[in-house]
Amino acid sequence: MERVANIMSWRILSNLIPVTLAILGVLVANFPVSFLGGHVAPPLLGFMPLYFWAIVRPDLMTPFWAFFLGVLEDLLSGGPPGVWAASFLAAYALIDRQRDMLAGLSGVGALVGFAIAALTACISAYAIVSILNWTLLPLAPVMGELAVTVILYTFAVFILGGIHRRLVGPLRSDF
Amino acid sequence: MANGSWKLGRPRGGAQLPLVLLAALAIALILIGKAQSNLFDRARANVTDWAAPALEVVRAPLSGLNRWMASVGDVFKVYQENLKLKEENARLRQWQNTAVVLDGRVKRYQLLLHAVPDPTLSSVMAQVIGRSNRPFLQTMILDAGKAQGVKPGQAVIDARGMIGRIFLTGDHTSWVILLTDLNSRVPVTIEPGNTQAIMAGDNTSAPTLDLLSQNVRLKPGDQVVTSGDGGLLPPGLAIGTVVADPAGGFRIVLLADSASSEDVNIVDFKLKAEAPPPVSANELPATAAGLPPAAPPPSAPPPTAALPPGITPPPQTKPATTPKPGAAPPVATPDETGNE
Repeated sequence: MERVANIMSWRILSNLIPVTLAILGVLVANFPVSFLGGHVAPPLLGFMPLYFWAIVRPDLMTPFWAFFLGVLEDLLSGGPPGVWAASFLAAYALIDRQRDMLAGLSGVGALVGFAIAALTACISAYAIVSILNWTLLPLAPVMGELAVTVILYTFAVFILGGIHRRLVGPLRSDF
Repeated sequence: MANGSWKLGRPRGGAQLPLVLLAALAIALILIGKAQSNLFDRARANVTDWAAPALEVVRAPLSGLNRWMASVGDVFKVYQENLKLKEENARLRQWQNTAVVLDGRVKRYQLLLHAVPDPTLSSVMAQVIGRSNRPFLQTMILDAGKAQGVKPGQAVIDARGMIGRIFLTGDHTSWVILLTDLNSRVPVTIEPGNTQAIMAGDNTSAPTLDLLSQNVRLKPGDQVVTSGDGGLLPPGLAIGTVVADPAGGFRIVLLADSASSEDVNIVDFKLKAEAPPPVSANELPATAAGLPPAAPPPSAPPPTAALPPGITPPPQTKPATTPKPGAAPPVATPDETGNE
């Protein structure tokens, strides 16, 4: 009986790992200290776990968490509220519709898949802020943020994959 | 990096309904944020106050690292830089002498003309404990807040010029909206010529200039200072230099470099409200021309016919007077204005 309780508690803890990592990513990315003198835009660290587990374990990374992470990003980044919440949801909608295709990608293809999802989020945010300010904003800062995010994902995907294999694991019904 | 081996935990498209609901919620949040931004601002200020000690701990080694990284390339051009600085120093000494002489002359003229002296400025010194260079917001966080007397709207300057304005204050921290930020609008004066304009940030390093008059000729190199219009910012704070925009129009190259500023001053400026001069009956055009002052027209009964049945009109304390076109405005007696 104790063994079952231990397994259950470990299961619950491991299920919290994706969201915890995403929250940590948002916190780190929005820490207002630049490691490169502010010349490079901070990456969307919170979006990486969101994308990864929205594909492989959507039961752990639900639309609610996409919304929650977006609101947290809005709160900490200092921008207008709701912008990243709506943008993360737009990217989640794309992932949700194309999950089979995105999950089947490997190598550079997997990176391109992530880049398309991140581009959806960035372009959505750009469009919303442009509409809110009723002016066409310079595109370079958003594209810089996208580029840094995609480059970092190249390394982050190995860490996320390792965490998924060792700690989170596939859904029980998938066995 | 292979995703091919991942097994899907849910059939495709299973999240459609929550997605739609949450998207509606996000749009509502955007609209609420547009109408009531102070709800989010208060939460941000609390988060920054809470994180301030951690920011101060992390800031010191990182700013040292940033300085070191920036200085690596400078080692190779120390000699050239030194020569250039010596030359610049000699030129600045000449300008300093000129400025001292002119300052004395201006003070003498002010004394002769009985001019109102410039308002004195008090300032709070603060350290930059955080910077955020996001695509849609360029800001910095200072370690001074309401407890130190910092208020939204105050100007933030460093040794070279203006950096931005305070837009959010916590108890011990405050957020600065940089001049380059998209939401920054500052009334400025361009010298020489005393040309008035609005400096508008657009998230690039050089803000744009919106001239208030079309018949103005600017040239690159003109100096831009705050105009003080609106009474929030003190006039004459150095901002930058006018440069031609290749895309048309003009931009401003800022004197201050917000990316390298460490210690800044928050300028407290409160212009005293200027009382309007009292109006006497003799100064009015009709009276001055020898005509009798225009009598107020007889008061018309309130229009009750348009009101719905059951609603009574509010009681009127004074008869409503509608000035006719061309008639002299009603004269305010000294008792009414309270000035005399």
